[in-house]
Amino acid sequence: MEWSIILFIFTLLIGIISPVSGVGGGVLFVPLSTIIFPFHVDFIRGAGLVMAVTSALSSVPYLTKIGLANIRIFALMAPVMIITSVVGGIIGLKVTSAFPGGKYYIEIMLGAIILLVFAVMMLSKRLEFPEVRDEEVDGWSRALGLRGEWFEPSLGRIVRFQVKNTPLSLVVFAIIGFVAGMFGLGAGWANVPVLNMLMGAPIKVATATSMLIITANAPAIGIYLTKGAILPSIVIPAVVGITIGARIGAKVAEIIKPVFVRWMVLAILFLAGFMNVIKGLQGLGVIPHIIPGA
Amino acid sequence: MAEERKIQVDEMGLVFGKTMIIFTVLGVLMMVIPAILYFLGIRPYIPLAEVSKYWTGSAAEFWRQVKGFEVHGYGWIFKNLGYMDTLSMLGVLLLMITPLISMLAAVFKAPSLTYRILLLVGAAEFIISLLFKTK
Repeated sequence: MEWSIILFIFTLLIGIISPVSGVGGGVLFVPLSTIIFPFHVDFIRGAGLVMAVTSALSSVPYLTKIGLANIRIFALMAPVMIITSVVGGIIGLKVTSAFPGGKYYIEIMLGAIILLVFAVMMLSKRLEFPEVRDEEVDGWSRALGLRGEWFEPSLGRIVRFQVKNTPLSLVVFAIIGFVAGMFGLGAGWANVPVLNMLMGAPIKVATATSMLIITANAPAIGIYLTKGAILPSIVIPAVVGITIGARIGAKVAEIIKPVFVRWMVLAILFLAGFMNVIKGLQGLGVIPHIIPGA
Repeated sequence: MAEERKIQVDEMGLVFGKTMIIFTVLGVLMMVIPAILYFLGIRPYIPLAEVSKYWTGSAAEFWRQVKGFEVHGYGWIFKNLGYMDTLSMLGVLLLMITPLISMLAAVFKAPSLTYRILLLVGAAEFIISLLFKTK
């Protein structure tokens, strides 16, 4: 019970920090939880996935209504991501159960992915209103009418957009789905740069459509449920904590300057990735024990 | 504000969103209410003390320790709905299938045959994924 309360407070804090820093809650929860909490990584990944999907399900209806979350892009990407996220979930659980040191392999891979997330967040730019010229729109995008519009209050007018590089984006989304399913990370950190920088969707559309695409990872929850890797004592405090925290965080983000917080969270993310790799390597006996208790 | 009302949003998206909000609220309630009762110690399938004793092991080890078997499939949920912790998992199940229900609802408002097919393919994959059991 004490751990459940600590977990609730922990996810509440993540929920507050997440909107302020722009770093997704799921991507902070999984690597930090493997370091802080005694739960096995199977349960942490299961909880991370339920958290990511529940957050997305809560925000998507409104974002769809105002035109920011694009159902057409989702309809195209979902069949790809559903398959790869489930395959990722299956392989993730197989690795931990099939090999004696499976848990440590997962920790090393998770750490590597988190370091990749760190690099993506450091290097990626946010294109507010990227221009996609008509001649840049690919055949798939044109045939499927992958475009949309929303009312942008800061400009006081309707903004229209279209997207490019659809076939390449499908391949990238397949890989993202696999990683999301395998580590229970959520995938906003990867979806947003792909939608924004590769496809040319405006940043607000990219962020909202990313939430919509995350719902395609929902079947991966089934992989964890069918293995009994979702426990109420872990999932419920985590989901409730992050949901309340995110609402507080959205208000806090309006008041405080997020630059310092973003750097602080990125530093934590780097540390978490690094520690996961070290924990995995020392668990396998590749390096001596340098993190006490791990 | 008047211009805001003029934006063209796919009917497919609106139906998808409306369906999603209904089932998400239901799913969250079904997940949280039994879980609160479980935390209060009412009808647990696995008592909290047992959970915290074995959650350091993998999911397979955990179930072997607390129940003497490994879990494969959804049967453990449906066979034990009288217990609050497993009843709570019914809410997780509903949340999990909410995108599926929303996709199926959106099929009827799809703007073209291509989108109808894409949504149906996504839904079919979803169902196949749910029926897939890891050994």
